[in-house]
Amino acid sequence: MQQQARKLHIHSVYTAEHPKKMYVHPAPVRVWHWVNAVSFVLLIVTGLQIRFAEMFSFFSLEEAVRIHNYVGFVVIGAYALWVSFYFGTGKIRLYFPNPKTFIPDAIRQTKFYTSGYFKGEKNPHTMTPDHKFNALQQKAYLGIMFLFLPAQMITGLFLWRIKGFANYIDILGGVKIVDTVHVVLFFFFSAFLVAHAYLATLGHTPLAHFKAMFTGYEDHH
Amino acid sequence: MVGATENSDCLECHSDAGLSRAASEGIKHELFVDSNRFKHSVHNINGIGCVDCHSDLATLNFDNEVPHSTSAEPVSCDNCHDAEARAYTNSVHRKASGKGINIPCYACHEYHYTSHLDANSVLERENAFCLKCHNPGKFHDWLPQKETHFAFVECTVCHAPDAPRHINLRFFDLVNNRFLTTPELMTAMGTTPADFLPLVDRNKDQVINAGEFDDMVFLLRQKDVRVTVHGELVIELQPSVHHVNRGVANRECEQCHVPTSPFFEEVRLTLAEPDRTTTHSNVERAVLESYHVSHFYALGGTRIRLLDKIGVGMIAAAAAVVTIHLLARIATIPNRRREHDEL
Repeated sequence: MQQQARKLHIHSVYTAEHPKKMYVHPAPVRVWHWVNAVSFVLLIVTGLQIRFAEMFSFFSLEEAVRIHNYVGFVVIGAYALWVSFYFGTGKIRLYFPNPKTFIPDAIRQTKFYTSGYFKGEKNPHTMTPDHKFNALQQKAYLGIMFLFLPAQMITGLFLWRIKGFANYIDILGGVKIVDTVHVVLFFFFSAFLVAHAYLATLGHTPLAHFKAMFTGYEDHH
Repeated sequence: MVGATENSDCLECHSDAGLSRAASEGIKHELFVDSNRFKHSVHNINGIGCVDCHSDLATLNFDNEVPHSTSAEPVSCDNCHDAEARAYTNSVHRKASGKGINIPCYACHEYHYTSHLDANSVLERENAFCLKCHNPGKFHDWLPQKETHFAFVECTVCHAPDAPRHINLRFFDLVNNRFLTTPELMTAMGTTPADFLPLVDRNKDQVINAGEFDDMVFLLRQKDVRVTVHGELVIELQPSVHHVNRGVANRECEQCHVPTSPFFEEVRLTLAEPDRTTTHSNVERAVLESYHVSHFYALGGTRIRLLDKIGVGMIAAAAAVVTIHLLARIATIPNRRREHDEL
């Protein structure tokens, strides 16, 4: 009983000294995130229609292609916002794992997701404005934001005007190669969206991270 | 002297580049026939002489009828090309003739130099026909990939929906940046056009299947010939092609851009001769999905099915991990509740 009271005491001291709510998602990041999220859903739906026109008919293929093209440019615009904000403020370092601690951090985080979480252990990573992502998130988002998303935008741009970008497409080995990259990444992003949305429910309540992505404030429970 | 029936008789005068007559309103009517080009025309190759078409001049008295009557009868192609003429009767081009325009066959097919059309690329063909009068850039803004469609799809594929279509494959020389000529291909393969198919078609089913296609490209590589394969969607040269009409053009993208599209069933490797005649070899459709044909890729129509399996696998894996995690999470709710209570 006494032990339990002490735990409660420590807990309350912790929350008293640190603000319960911490501003970790600045406005430009939230705008970028939700514009991107809506765009990705639209791109996936229209992308499915475009690739599997014989199976899906959410729109006519002509409309699907048109929407896909417009939304593609919205994503490119949102990416420009992301780049300007993160590089402009120097916050881009949030995305770079610390090479000295990356391996143990990643192992600790993996252990949490695969077993610790079920036992009710605390997340080894506490989200703060200066240390927003855990090691696994850093690694994943770094690949996504610096490699996969640019590759998807560039191949998408090339496929938007095959004739206009013919020289670049030829350098890359032909339209089939460019389309293959675009389609593999399309499947990757679709799979990522499933995992990302699920992982976001692993906050102290299932909706905590979702709320934070609107308000900017993460609850520290 | 009676009976100027030989082409050489006609060309005696008509090969003179300056030969013309004054037509109405000061317009000069050229009477010159380029004998070199005429020599390669499909009519000459098939032994059709000048007077077979200009039948009112079948007999000509050189002594007092040359220069002959300037009002020679208009030539009617219908006399020989019955099926084509019938298909043309209802076409928008024939109908236009009632509105003060006359579009005779030779407006598209040229007077004397009608040639084989098979060997031409889409662009060459369209330049010779539709693009002479039409500017497709004006009316196709709704079409995604406008320029790409123009480069790889013949106008009549959409505008003559009844005409049968097929894919023409041609070797493109990556080093010299142009289509590989048939003699070059034959030299590299050490064969002749007649022996080409038997050499490539190892299982003798008269179709170059995907494996045989691989071998052929591999053989070319060994001979230092670096090629990629270009594809084009063209219509078959049948009379129904003439049936171009207003309001019947196909605007449904799904006709082409689905894997079940019949447009990609017929695939042919085209060997073009210098005289523009061609020989076709049937090719298995699966070749369109191979990496050799990496510059012709129709969304949906020739998509690589393996990718779909990989994609479904990726999404299924993500969904499976999420589901397992979620189930474990639900099953362990009591654990966490206990832990929370202890706090």
